Amino acid sequence: MELSRVLQFLATRLSGRRLDATLAVLALLLLLLPARVLTPWTNPAARLLSVPLAPLTHAGMYLRDRIRPPRESFDARAPEVIRLESELAQYRTLYEQSRLERERLERSMAALQAVSTRAGTEGVRLAEASVIASDPTRADATVRLNAGERHGVRAGAPVFVDGDIFAGIVANDVGAYSCAVIPASKLSGIGVRLYPAEGSDAQANVQGFPGAVLKPLPNGNWTAEVASTVELREGLIARLADERYPRVALGTRVGIVVRVEPIEQVPLARRIEVRRISSLADAASVIVAITPQSEANEERSSPR
Amino acid sequence: MNWSAYIVAVLLALSFDSSVGSVLEIAGAHPQVLPAVVVFALLSTARRCALRAAMLAGLAADLLAPLVGADGMLVVVPGPRVLGFALGALAVLQLRSLLYRRNPLAGSAATFAFSLLAGIVFIAAWLLRAWVTGSDAPWWPGSGGSEVWIRFIGALLDGVVALPVLWCLEKTRPLWGFVVSTKLTAGPARMSR
Repeated sequence: MELSRVLQFLATRLSGRRLDATLAVLALLLLLLPARVLTPWTNPAARLLSVPLAPLTHAGMYLRDRIRPPRESFDARAPEVIRLESELAQYRTLYEQSRLERERLERSMAALQAVSTRAGTEGVRLAEASVIASDPTRADATVRLNAGERHGVRAGAPVFVDGDIFAGIVANDVGAYSCAVIPASKLSGIGVRLYPAEGSDAQANVQGFPGAVLKPLPNGNWTAEVASTVELREGLIARLADERYPRVALGTRVGIVVRVEPIEQVPLARRIEVRRISSLADAASVIVAITPQSEANEERSSPR
Repeated sequence: MNWSAYIVAVLLALSFDSSVGSVLEIAGAHPQVLPAVVVFALLSTARRCALRAAMLAGLAADLLAPLVGADGMLVVVPGPRVLGFALGALAVLQLRSLLYRRNPLAGSAATFAFSLLAGIVFIAAWLLRAWVTGSDAPWWPGSGGSEVWIRFIGALLDGVVALPVLWCLEKTRPLWGFVVSTKLTAGPARMSR
């Protein structure tokens, strides 16, 4: 009863400007109320108001995302981003390092396989060695490898590059952990046979391929005088056919015929020039064929 | 004035401001459509209900702008915009006799004045609340000066946005049910002949 009278009083008294002023004062009072008084009823009121707005706002958000996609919250200068970029660069380096290492190992395996599949490798141990020193001013300079007696390397052991290219032999100067290699272009009197570059007929007699003894020239090539009825031409491949070298080295490529000249004094003979296929100084790693001790002893005094 | 039309327009404006409105953001302030809607009503409705209409819109705006209190709780404080809209409405009501009400440029100027006053009162109200209750102002950790600048830019943008909004609202004028009354004063009637 009292309530209805109060409401009636308010309805009659509060109108027009008086109501506006009352509402303003009420708003001021609400403004100054502490949060714990407001929270229990203003938050539900806000939730109630947001209900009818939800579908409209949702449609507006959809439209906004179409007009302007949400901005990236990515800060390129943030410390964690910088740290991640640094880690990314580090792992990229490691990745590239592993790829290069894999490529190097694949090359080593291919080279080792190329040598190991050849005949005469029984008991022969193959070791990969890196060139650790060479004379950069000379292409036919002696090089030093990081393999020595502790690795089983003996003097006279053949050295190959690119799998089947005879590059030289280990010199007498064999240290515990290193050794010197005499390049093939410095070896005198390498016995070879000349084979067509396109390959030879398996049925053909080996004697049908002309033999020659290569002598070094000042330019790093070899020369030889060949007396053979077989036609000599440029492009023939000189393969090692010298019994003084370990069997694992037989048949490996030594060079390629780049010149054929007649010899006036000997009409049936030709003078050829053989160019090396690969330089030892250009190789970063080589394959050393470590022959058994007994075989090494037998061959130690023979070729050089 | 048709209150239903007004409430629907206010709700639409609130939805627009809280969603699409952010697209128009410039220098940290984004224009609002709500002041233009309120000003449109203020320019045409009867003086006796104009202030209440503005405060109702301010209350709705307050309810949709919760704050995070010092204890991490969400707090909705009704009042700052209610008072701000009330003062802005008083200013517009004083100005409207000087304005051509159906001219969008006049409405745009009135919207700028309304928003600017509402912004200033909003800041004052929050400073008062911060002083009384010891709570943080919504612009914390920014300063009140920077907030005034943002509100000023916002008022300018509100005035710009009001141009198309008022033009659109003008098309819906019949729905609003504004009563055009002419005050008659006693005196001798002129003969047209």
